[in-house]
Amino acid sequence: MRRAVHLVWLSLLFGATACGGGGEAARTDDAVRLPIINDPIFNPLLAPDLGSVMVNKVLFPGLVRPDESLRPTPDLALSWEASLDGLAYTFVLRPNVKWHDGAPFTARDVKFTLDQIISATSGSRLRSDFGAVVGTDIIDSLTVRIRLKAPFAPLLTLLGYNAGMLPEHLLRGTKLTEFTAFNRSTPVGTGPFKVEKTTPGASVTLVRNDAYYGPKPGTGRIVFKVVPDINAQVAQLRAGELDLITIEPANLGSVQGAEGVRVLEVPVVQHWYVGFNAAQPMFASAAVRRALGYAVNREAIVKGVLKGYGDLPGGTIPVALRDFHDATAPRVPFAPDSAKALLAAAGWIAGADGRLHDASGAPFTFELLVDKGNPTREQSALAVQQDLARIGVTATIRTMEFAALVRDRLLPGTYDATLIWWTTPPDPDQFSFYHTAQDNNNVRYSNRTADSLLALGRATTDSARRREIYRAFQAVERDDPPVLVLFYPREIQAVGPRLQNVPKLGIRDALRHSEQFRVGK
Amino acid sequence: MIAFLLRRLGHGVFVLLLVSTVTFAIMLAAPGGPSVLADPKLSTVERAEIETRLGLDQPPVVQYTRWLGRAVRGDFGASFLYQTPSLDSIASRLPPTLLLAGAALMVTLAVGIPLGMLAAARRGGALDRLVAATSGVALAVPVFWSGLMLVFVFAVWLRLLPAGGAMTEGGDATLADRLRHLMLPAIVLASAGCAEVIRYTRSAALTTLALPFMQVARARGLSSRRLLWRHALRHVLTSVITVIGLQLPRLVGGAAITETVFSWPGMGRLGVEAALGRDYPLVMAVTLVVSAGVVVASILADVVQMMIDPRVRVA
Repeated sequence: MRRAVHLVWLSLLFGATACGGGGEAARTDDAVRLPIINDPIFNPLLAPDLGSVMVNKVLFPGLVRPDESLRPTPDLALSWEASLDGLAYTFVLRPNVKWHDGAPFTARDVKFTLDQIISATSGSRLRSDFGAVVGTDIIDSLTVRIRLKAPFAPLLTLLGYNAGMLPEHLLRGTKLTEFTAFNRSTPVGTGPFKVEKTTPGASVTLVRNDAYYGPKPGTGRIVFKVVPDINAQVAQLRAGELDLITIEPANLGSVQGAEGVRVLEVPVVQHWYVGFNAAQPMFASAAVRRALGYAVNREAIVKGVLKGYGDLPGGTIPVALRDFHDATAPRVPFAPDSAKALLAAAGWIAGADGRLHDASGAPFTFELLVDKGNPTREQSALAVQQDLARIGVTATIRTMEFAALVRDRLLPGTYDATLIWWTTPPDPDQFSFYHTAQDNNNVRYSNRTADSLLALGRATTDSARRREIYRAFQAVERDDPPVLVLFYPREIQAVGPRLQNVPKLGIRDALRHSEQFRVGK
Repeated sequence: MIAFLLRRLGHGVFVLLLVSTVTFAIMLAAPGGPSVLADPKLSTVERAEIETRLGLDQPPVVQYTRWLGRAVRGDFGASFLYQTPSLDSIASRLPPTLLLAGAALMVTLAVGIPLGMLAAARRGGALDRLVAATSGVALAVPVFWSGLMLVFVFAVWLRLLPAGGAMTEGGDATLADRLRHLMLPAIVLASAGCAEVIRYTRSAALTTLALPFMQVARARGLSSRRLLWRHALRHVLTSVITVIGLQLPRLVGGAAITETVFSWPGMGRLGVEAALGRDYPLVMAVTLVVSAGVVVASILADVVQMMIDPRVRVA
């Protein structure tokens, strides 16, 4: 009996391992395998989550797409022209484009998509991005005009960001959220790959679209595997079951030196910061916020926490926006002595124990919120806490789940400070984050000069003038920083030996060029 | 027997109702709220629109009674995250979970019972001590660690088995391919339960071996092998069945970590995603399906025990 049991197990183990031919079955086909962390919804208008965004970038091209400098270049539109008053953009569409079901792509689809985007009832999650759009006119079957209520420079960038085009002939008439089959299993786009199969919780398999309007896609399939755990992603990359993953600095040790794995870095359009709630009296003064900025040793954070995979900041416009980031301006200095002097001038007196207090004896102490589970942010928060302690400021760190942090504290404004980040479209427009009383201005920043520059910046289409405006905005930020920018992170991509020809862009933007991906030997 | 079943089913329905109320209350009280609303980029107006669309602007009692009213008719509502009926999501994730749980249960029984018996037969011997030590380790080591270690050994270094998933995605899903994917997660999921079954079997066997009928059998000159595997085993199984019944909920609902480490597309992970995303309809549906499973499993375990052990047939 005992022997029999052993024999059964041994034979099962060896039998099954042998008949698959080892763990390298994944390497013989020409599929690219990429991880996503959740099941996607195949509709670029409905789904802001990362899994959906990544897949939808492949399935649903937009009118334009970003090149390696993040500037908009033709995709479904061949050319465009802005009217002199900046209130209308006319797009000439690419002819002979077919939807995955064979129907022709026309101006009607563009109008349909934009109408859905700005509709209050469609369930669209892009409505606030396109708040400037009034309507869309069909000029002829391959020409459309988008009308704006005011000049809006970010329009092109936003059209190339998440605004993938949807097929009118399949989706008209009902609410987008109700097309369950389309959204969950049988989407129809115009991209270089189309959905072949979806397995909930496991994968989405895309297959080459032979009717694609661009060059023939370089791989037969793209398989998005649902792998929520970063450690599991690393293991699968090293086992050859995934071809590209993005990792945190904390995971570098597990991929560096691994056979065949390349580690690449790409600047991304993010700024990570400590946001001080300016509605709290202690943070109202620009001098105090500036002083806190001088107290933090960012170089140590970039070296220690990011392992060098980040850039030192000036203001809130990151280096990835090459045209607008002011690289000539000085970085925020690490100057604890200036910080102390500024705080002293603002009425903060050092006690015998070195801790700061105001005239009434109340100490300079506040709560710093950080979301749970991300090592980069948790370690950065500790570094900030220590640096501030050195100038006599006491920050108490509180970790919370991200959703609770945002909904219970950030949005109602019931917080002192939080370590968080913005990921933005590749445009310098930060009107909604830092203009007085805007919806996303969670730090309650208010500066009149900044307000007028931010308003002017989004209304100016001339790129040279726009550049000057955002330089001036960055100069304002040096005196009156809206937030304490810690760094601009770089996306760290660990790429397996097979995958080649991925554009040097963050993975989301790179997926707008998925037809270029190649699988080598 | 039928009266017993009816009574147990009645209890079961009551338990499910209680579970639903408690889950709903905890869910609404939990900080944060649905993650679909936690996007810092949403404007106030957009946020209010979503709340209205999902019915979250209503007071909790109204939300619960609405939910209950639909649930008794079999409509568990659309998931916030996936925008599809919650039961559809569960239906697509249940088969992989049952497969994994079934395999793990087989491993648990095939390894746990024989080893427990052998350890008892040679109490204090080398095997007994080895089994005690390894089962202690199996109970103590966290699954996310042991799982990742196995992945690194068998998938990354030896390249013998796949690192994750239920099959080669985008490839041919042959039976062999599925078996290879099943192996590591089944072993990991089985390990803790296996240790429990070993220990339980061992102590049940020790008690049994000391009973008078065993001594009579021994006096009649039966071989010790026959004694152990024919006479003692049957007696031991009657009490081990309860432990097996207790394994089921853990295998179905508690496999979340194993499923995460191995990217297994099952219910456990779905439940975790739903809970983290505060996906109210999905959380409710997953909780109730798993609870129903537990209720049914415990009734089944009782029935099986009644069938094989005449002394329990009192009801």
